[in-house]
Amino acid sequence: MKHRILIALALAAVVSLASAQTLTMAMAAQPDTLDPQVTSATAAFQVSKSIYDTLVEVGRDGVIAPALASSYSVSDDGLAYTFNLVTTTFHDGTALDSADVKATLERIMAEATASPKRSEFMAITSIDTPDPSTVIVHLSEPQPALLASLASGWGAILPSEKLAEGYDFGNAPVGTGAFVFESWLRDNAITLSAIADYYLGAPQVDEVVIRFVPDPAIQLLGLLTGEFDVADTIAAADRPTVESNPALTMVEEPSGLALVAAMNTRRDYLSDPRVRRAINLAVDSQTVLDVAYGGGTPIGTFMEAGSPWLPADIEPYGYDPEQARTLLAEAGVPDGWTLDMPLPQPYDAHIQAGQMVQDYLREVGINAEIRIVEWGVWLSDVYGEARAFDITVIGHTGKLDPSGRLDGYGVESGNYTGYDDLVTADLIAEGARVSDLARRQEVYGEALRRIHDAAPFIFFGTPGRAYATQANVEGFWITPLLDSFDFRTASKN
Amino acid sequence: MTRYLLGQLVSLVLTLWVVLTLVFLAVRALPGDAATIMGGIDSSAESIAEMRRSLGLAATLSDQYVSFVGDLVQGDLGDSIRERRPVTAVLLDRLPVTLTLAAMAFVISIVFGLALGLAAGLRPGGFFDRLTTGFATVALSLPEFWFGFILILVFAVQLGWFPVLGLPPTGLSLRSSWHMLLPAVTLAIPRAAQLARLGRARVLEERSSDYVRTARSKGLSAGRIGRHIASNALPGIVPLLALELGGLLTGTIVVEQVFGLPGLGATLLGGISARDYPVVQGVTILAVVIYVGVNWLADVTQLIADPRLRAPA
Repeated sequence: MKHRILIALALAAVVSLASAQTLTMAMAAQPDTLDPQVTSATAAFQVSKSIYDTLVEVGRDGVIAPALASSYSVSDDGLAYTFNLVTTTFHDGTALDSADVKATLERIMAEATASPKRSEFMAITSIDTPDPSTVIVHLSEPQPALLASLASGWGAILPSEKLAEGYDFGNAPVGTGAFVFESWLRDNAITLSAIADYYLGAPQVDEVVIRFVPDPAIQLLGLLTGEFDVADTIAAADRPTVESNPALTMVEEPSGLALVAAMNTRRDYLSDPRVRRAINLAVDSQTVLDVAYGGGTPIGTFMEAGSPWLPADIEPYGYDPEQARTLLAEAGVPDGWTLDMPLPQPYDAHIQAGQMVQDYLREVGINAEIRIVEWGVWLSDVYGEARAFDITVIGHTGKLDPSGRLDGYGVESGNYTGYDDLVTADLIAEGARVSDLARRQEVYGEALRRIHDAAPFIFFGTPGRAYATQANVEGFWITPLLDSFDFRTASKN
Repeated sequence: MTRYLLGQLVSLVLTLWVVLTLVFLAVRALPGDAATIMGGIDSSAESIAEMRRSLGLAATLSDQYVSFVGDLVQGDLGDSIRERRPVTAVLLDRLPVTLTLAAMAFVISIVFGLALGLAAGLRPGGFFDRLTTGFATVALSLPEFWFGFILILVFAVQLGWFPVLGLPPTGLSLRSSWHMLLPAVTLAIPRAAQLARLGRARVLEERSSDYVRTARSKGLSAGRIGRHIASNALPGIVPLLALELGGLLTGTIVVEQVFGLPGLGATLLGGISARDYPVVQGVTILAVVIYVGVNWLADVTQLIADPRLRAPA
C-alpha cells in the first residue's frame, strides 16, 4: 500500500515535471521599476507587457488593434474616444471595469505621479464611465496620437482598488496580463507564471524566467549550453556563430530605430546646411550599418525605414566624398577643422559607428575627436540642456506615432541638434492636432523632406531587431516599434 | 590595549564621516541625476523637471546633506530612488551574495596561495617555486574577467559542470551556493597569486635568519625547521590578508558583472548608472565599515598571534 502511494507520487511528480514548461530569456537591460507610469525605460515595458494589458495594442503588422477594449470609436470631431471593455480580471481577483481605466488615466495625469509620459495625456479633459464596461475619454483638442499612447507600455491599465491604497506596483505589479508576477531578484531574474483564464486564451508555456545578462558574450554562451531559450542581444560579430549552429535560430524582425549621428547646428560651420549635407555625403552609411550594427536599410531623413510615414521620394544621401569635399570648400571649411564627438557608453555599436565616422571625416579633411562618456553624462551634457557636442552617435527608438519622434524639431530649444526652422515646426505642430490621416501623412511627409534637406543628422538607417532562440522555440515575438517581448504565443517543442 | 582599540574606534567614525561626505559630493558631482536617467531621450524638459521635484532632487545641496547625515545618525540610509524601498532592505538582499562570494574566494586564496608560497619558499628553485612564480606572473598580469570567461568556457560550456550564470533565478540558497564556485575561483586567482608570492618571500626571509641556522646546525629535521619557519612567517601575513579582503570587495564588482551575480558590486554599478544617490552612499558606507572593521580585526588578531606586540609600551 505504502509503496503504491510512493509510486503514484513519483509518477505524478514526473508528469508535472514533464508538463511544466519554463521559457528562459536572457535580457541585456534591466527594468528600473515595474510600475508602468513612472518610467520611460524600454526595458521596463519589455517586461511589463506580459504582466499588464493596454486598451489597444500593436499587432505584428505594426497596426493598432483592440485589446482590453474589444472595440472603440472616435467621434467625428476627434474629441471623444469611446472604449468597450472585455470581461477579464486582474491578478488580485477583482474584475476589470471602467472605473479602473478612469483611475489609471487620472493617475498618469496627476502631477504627484510625476510620470515622464504625463504630457501625452494632458489633452484629456474628462473621463465618463456610463456603465462598468464603457469608458468615454473627452479631449480639449484632437490628439490623433492618443491611441498610440494607450497602446504603449505606459498605457497599461491598473486596478483602481490598489491605486486607491497607494499600492507598490513598482516591486510587485498586478495587472490583467497573461502572466502573473512571481518574483524579482534585481540584477538576477524576474519570474512570471502563466494564468489559465487569460482573456485571449492561456499561454503555451507555464513559466517565463527573464535573466539579466548585460554581457552579450555571456548571453551567447548561455544559448550554447541551453541555459537560455531566447537571448535578446547578439553582437554583430557573433551572428555567424548562431547562424551556423543547427540548434539555434537567428531571428531578425523589423525595428523602429532611426540610427543617426546628430550634429549641433548652433556650432561653427555646422550651422551651414551645406556643411551638414557634405558630412552626410562623406560617410558611407551602408558600411556603417553593416559593420557596426549588423546590417540595415539606409534612410534619408529622421524616420525609420519601412515607416508608413516616410515619403517614398526621400532618398538616402549616398556616399560621395568628392562632392562632400566640393561642398566643404564652398562653405569655406578649412582643412583640419576639428569636431568634438562624445560617444555614449556602454553602447558599443554606437561607439564603433562613431569611430567609423571619424575615419570617413578624416578623408575629407575633418578631424573628429572622440570622447567616450557614460550614458548619464551623455544624457545630461550632450542630449540635455548643456548640449556640449559637435557630433554624436545615437539611435532613436521606434514610436507608434510620428509625433513621438518629431515633436520639438524645428524649434531651436526643443531638440538637441538645435535645428531651427519655423516651417518644419508648424508642420509638426499641425500633424499632432489634425485627425485626417491623409492630411497628417502630407504634413509629416513635408516636414521629413525639410529635415532631409537641412540634414541636422547624418542619417545612417534602420537595423533589424536581431535576437536568437533555441531552434525549438516558436511563437515568441518582439512588438514592432515598441520593442517589447510577447510570450503569449511562445512555446517550446 | 583597550585605549588602543578605542582610539581605533574613533578613527573608524572619522574615516566613515570623511568617506561618506566625499561620496555624497562625488555622486552629485556626476553630470545628470535620477530624473535625467529616468527621462531618457524621449521626455520633455518639463516632465524631467517635474520628476526631479517629486524625487526630492530639487533641494539645495546643503539641505540634502543635512537630511542625509541626520537620517544616517538614526541608522536610516534613505530610500532607493530606483527601487523605491529602503536602502537597508536593498543592502540586506545583496549582502549575502557578496559575502558568500568573498568568503569562498578568501578561503580558496588562503589555502592555495599560502600552500604554494610555503612550498615554494622552503625549496627555492624547486618545482613548486617555479610553478608559483609562473602562476603568479600569469595571474597578476591578466584581468579577472579574462579568467572568468576561460572558466565559463571550460567548466560551463565544454564540460557542462556548472551553469553559465552564477546563480539560479531563485537566488542564493544553500542548494545553489555551489553555483558560485566558478566566480569564487575567478576572484581567488589573483589573490592566491599575491599570497603565494608574499608567503614565498616571507619564508625565504625567515630561512636566512639566525634561529634557522642554529636549528640546522643542531641537526633538526627539515620538517621541524619548516614548521618553525611557517609559524614565524605567517603572523606577518595577517595584515596583508586584511588588505586582500579589501581587494576582494573591489574584485567582486568585476566578477559579479561577468557571472551576473546580484551582489553589492552589481548594486553599486547599477546605482551609479541610475544616479541612485542613496544606494551608492549605502553601498560605500557598508564597504567602508567592512573594510575598516576587517583591518581592526586584523590588528587584534596580530596582537594575539604575536606576543611581542602585547608587551606594555
